[in-house]
Amino acid sequence: MMDVCLWWRQPSRMVDNRRTKMSPNFRWLLSVLTLLHLIMQINSQKRGVLRDLKCTTNNLQVWDCAWKAPLGASHGTVNEVCIEDRFHSCHRLEKTNIKIPALSPGDHEVTINYLHGFESSPSKFILNEKNVSLIPDPPEILNLSADFPTSTLHLKWNDKGSAFPPHSDAVWEIKVLRKPSMELVKLMSFNTTLSGKDIVHHWNWTSDLPLECATHYVGIRRYIDCHHFSGRKEWSDWSLLKNISWTPNSETKAFPQDKVILVGSNITFCCVSQTKVLSGQIGKTFCPLIHLHGESVAIHIQNISVSENSGTNVVFTTEDNVYGTVVFAGYPPDVPQKLNCETHDLKEIICSWNPGKPTGLVGPRNTNYTLFESFSGKYVIFERFETLTNESYQLLFQMLPNQEIHNFTLTGRNPLGQAESTILVNITERVSPRTPTSLKVKDINSTVVTLSWHLPGNFAKINLLCQIEIYKDNSKQELRNVAIKGVEDSSYIVAVDKLNPYTIYTFRIRCSTETFWKWSKWSNEKQHLTVEAIPSKAPDTWREWSSDGKNLIIFWKPLPISEANGKILSYNVSCSSHEETQSLSEILDPQHKAEIQLDKNDYIISVVAKNSVGSSPPSKIASMEIPNDDLKVEQAVGTGKRILLTWHHDPNMTCDYVIKWCNSSRSEPCLMDWKKVPSNSTETVIESDQFQPGVRYNFFLYGCRNQGYQLLRSIIGYIEELAPIVAPNFTVEDTSADSILVKWEDIPVEELRGFLRGYLFYFQKGERDMPKMRSLESGHSDIKIKNITDISQKTLRIADLQGKTSYHLVLRAYTDGGLGPEKSMFVVTKENSVGLIIAILIPVAVAVMVGVVTSVLCYRKREWIKETFYPDIPNPENCKALQFQKSICEGSNALKTLEMNPCTPNNVEVLESRSIVPKIEDTEIISPVAECPEESEADPENHVVVSYCPPIIEEELANPAADEAGGTSQVVYIDIQSMYQPQAKPEEEADIEPVVVAAVAGYKPQMRLPINSAVEETAAEDDTDKTAGYRPQVNVNTWNLVSPDSPRSTDSNSEVVSFGSPCSINSRQFLIPPKDEDSPKSSGGGWSFTNFFQNKPND
Amino acid sequence: MQKNTSTLLQTYLQYQGSPFSDPGFSAPELQLSSLPPAAVSFKIWHAMDDAERLNRVQEAFLALTQHLQLVGDDQSDLNPGSPILLTQLGAARLRAQGLMGNMAAIMTALGLPIPPEEDTLGLVPFGASTFERKCRGYIVTREYGHWTDRAVRDLALLKAKYPA
Repeated sequence: MMDVCLWWRQPSRMVDNRRTKMSPNFRWLLSVLTLLHLIMQINSQKRGVLRDLKCTTNNLQVWDCAWKAPLGASHGTVNEVCIEDRFHSCHRLEKTNIKIPALSPGDHEVTINYLHGFESSPSKFILNEKNVSLIPDPPEILNLSADFPTSTLHLKWNDKGSAFPPHSDAVWEIKVLRKPSMELVKLMSFNTTLSGKDIVHHWNWTSDLPLECATHYVGIRRYIDCHHFSGRKEWSDWSLLKNISWTPNSETKAFPQDKVILVGSNITFCCVSQTKVLSGQIGKTFCPLIHLHGESVAIHIQNISVSENSGTNVVFTTEDNVYGTVVFAGYPPDVPQKLNCETHDLKEIICSWNPGKPTGLVGPRNTNYTLFESFSGKYVIFERFETLTNESYQLLFQMLPNQEIHNFTLTGRNPLGQAESTILVNITERVSPRTPTSLKVKDINSTVVTLSWHLPGNFAKINLLCQIEIYKDNSKQELRNVAIKGVEDSSYIVAVDKLNPYTIYTFRIRCSTETFWKWSKWSNEKQHLTVEAIPSKAPDTWREWSSDGKNLIIFWKPLPISEANGKILSYNVSCSSHEETQSLSEILDPQHKAEIQLDKNDYIISVVAKNSVGSSPPSKIASMEIPNDDLKVEQAVGTGKRILLTWHHDPNMTCDYVIKWCNSSRSEPCLMDWKKVPSNSTETVIESDQFQPGVRYNFFLYGCRNQGYQLLRSIIGYIEELAPIVAPNFTVEDTSADSILVKWEDIPVEELRGFLRGYLFYFQKGERDMPKMRSLESGHSDIKIKNITDISQKTLRIADLQGKTSYHLVLRAYTDGGLGPEKSMFVVTKENSVGLIIAILIPVAVAVMVGVVTSVLCYRKREWIKETFYPDIPNPENCKALQFQKSICEGSNALKTLEMNPCTPNNVEVLESRSIVPKIEDTEIISPVAECPEESEADPENHVVVSYCPPIIEEELANPAADEAGGTSQVVYIDIQSMYQPQAKPEEEADIEPVVVAAVAGYKPQMRLPINSAVEETAAEDDTDKTAGYRPQVNVNTWNLVSPDSPRSTDSNSEVVSFGSPCSINSRQFLIPPKDEDSPKSSGGGWSFTNFFQNKPND
Repeated sequence: MQKNTSTLLQTYLQYQGSPFSDPGFSAPELQLSSLPPAAVSFKIWHAMDDAERLNRVQEAFLALTQHLQLVGDDQSDLNPGSPILLTQLGAARLRAQGLMGNMAAIMTALGLPIPPEEDTLGLVPFGASTFERKCRGYIVTREYGHWTDRAVRDLALLKAKYPA
């Protein structure tokens, strides 16, 4: 034994020796291993030599060494193993392995010697810790469980750390396999440090595929890295696989159920089915099926989008059924925004926030919020199923007494995560009081009231700041701040002063705290009328003497409301002199003037206004008016609605200046208004709404001296000047051949509408019917303009004119406001006198000459003329008319003439109408002139008797000789007017001047010839205007003036006869016969030339 | 009431998301064990006597009122922000109760026994998945319509039998 040991030991010594030589550790180790290997090689090649001694350990305490038995060694062969350790122990055994306690570091010689059946050939090995491998036992899985709803595997195992030295590192490797192909779906390792005690470890893993859909297997192994152990360390074996499978417990066959996931993540749904799954869809989208085992399938969704409220449906359709599940894709809660905590009453804190981005999750999945106060450790929870949109969330937190500083943390949580925000507040600085209520106002006096209101809240420890808004009609609102000591749930009262008496105020109030955070809302408004006070000022007074100078009229202005301090009820007017004081009775308010009968003594008038509280101070004014001799009237023009008046300072004026004004067109005493100005001022602006442009006003400036007023200046003025509204009235006074004298009148003040600055006179050649002068100012070359700036000038002579020429004259007045309207006139200058005289004298001379010659001739040949034109009256027996109208004309001529009755048928009898005969009317009988000669030729004698008896004139066109035999076409005129018919003038006398004709004609026949109507009108106007009496309806000019009815015309030529034709047509008026006594001569004498000649011999 | 039932079904489906809300959605194969189906063959229905016919309707509406309550609770979780749907479900439940009352009056008038009110739902419905709840609601609202139609038909037949 010793030998063996020594022998086995030798090499080790040799190794030692070599180690001493080769100092590097590595070389030494390499040499040992090489040597050991060589020895084992040599031994193995020898028959009966041991091979492959290998030692491992699983706990560092016991080494398990094994070797391969030599060839030929049968089971049960006893061998002896001797280990050179501390005890140099030897073991007899039949196995090929041995467990030995761990050897101390360093080489140990191991001798294995087979005893029976073999020749003793001990094998020697050098055993060192470095040759020992540490292979821990496989870990044991304590528990493998699954959380199916979350598809999570929970693995639990014991690290058995007590078996190893503490602080050893352990590496764990876990594998997850999935059926059916047992593919590795997860391999994962992690490190732990052993503590020397047995520790149970946990590992969770969430599967992408729901665990229900496939059986999952889990195995684990370990690697212990023990720092004290110098040998090799190896992974343990895998533990036994444990599996998780789902046992169907309900109808549900689609997984996962009701899962909440983050938007954008990926998820796999599966369906466990016994029958073939036809389709899988999420929402409306169909997805490709992934086959698992059996008929089970899965679909994979990538980047899932946000779900609607009720979730996204995933549906698998099998041949006979529908399986489904719902997934809720949303977001984790956003960080609560605008977290703000304040209090209304220091009892309750209201924290509000905005939830931020919506999570897309509602109902039980909605975000719930917890408000946590860290100092007190209290919290409140906000839970609400429906999502509020655009609304801030609120939580109420009951304040603890005496806690002012609060540190709030608001946490929002939903299944996908949580978010929080914090706020630290001193709540006394975050007071937003509620709206003040019960606002009341009470009077103290006319300028002070008290306001009281109620404000709920526990403000005992802080001071309040309240703001009172005071609003007065027609003025800006006023804000007053008041600081009040806070109390608990109580009313507050403050006094408000500096108010005006008898004024309606509107109050309202809002409150905050001294450490201002927010104002409360305004309280309701409260209106209040302050009480009255005595009027503060005397009324503004003025006086005027009445026009008769006996009465003094006192005027005063009503006090403005700010000075009246109440409702003015009446005024007291009194006048006092040195001797006595006279007081008038009370004058009630709406009246603002009083009239007192006074002598011209010096009186002081005083006026006092009274309201219900008392009287105003008196306003005093002297009645005396100090005369002023050198007073001039001045002019002033204002701007817009105002006028500026200035004056020089007068040191004598001690009290004040008064400007009164009135409309200048009003009668005296005239007073529109007045204004008082302090005595030290030298100008004032008079302004009044009553002022109108273009109206003249009188302004009077009075100065007050020694209690008497003196008129200092009198001013007429306009607020704004306007152009005159009328033109000056002008007439032509005188006209000569080369000049015109024009005179005009003043324009009344009311129509002038400004200060008259002058006149513009335009003249131009022109007739009346010529176009008027247009654009007078355009400087037309023909128009001459004269600008008359001397307004006192009232006449103008225009010289250098042309004679007998029409001139157009225009006159306009102007003020600074503009030009007035124009007035125009046409004037013809006189003719040159010499030419005029010649032009008049020559025609007169010629006319006289002709008249004289005619007179002489007529006188000389008067017998001849008489025989020729006026023969003696023929015998009535010759009257042919009497022959065929005996019934009418029988008897003496004179009698027949007088008896008009038989002749009454004064009408037209149309025996047969003819187309050429014009329309014949009862009142208008027309006889064509052209037919007259024929008739008269045929029966010239007929007309002799016409004067005495209305003839029945037959007009025969076809057969002039036919008498009574009714022709085929006849017009019978029964003319009773023959005797009034115009006396035809003999043809040869037609040259007599028409002027003479016009003068003689007293009558004209009423014949109207439509053809000549136009001519008739004008001619009638011209020639017969002066014809007195009856106006014939005929144009005399169209007639051949003959006298057919004249008995002396029987021997005249045919033309004379022709006049007796039915052309003499008459109206009914002529049915009234003339006086019986009228001789044919006299009847014609009114108008006929023939009469002229006939009567001439009688003259 | 018949019109309201179809409106309720449409409104209900509209709030459940695709494929429920898809136009023309129908899943006649879905049934609830706790709710008797309204579909019955004409022959069987015709062979029933009045008592049985009215009994069936009465039982069905009893079940429907309970189920409509359940569906209303489900939907206040799923669609809390949809007052229209919740209102219609509540109204449908009240109508079903009203119809039950009327049926009971008729049965009393005819001298028929009124079936006792019993809890048809039991413990089953709690713990159902969201998809199951949606399907359940669909079945309930669908059957509510069918049963209403059937009740109308029953009553019409009854009216023909007992004029005035």
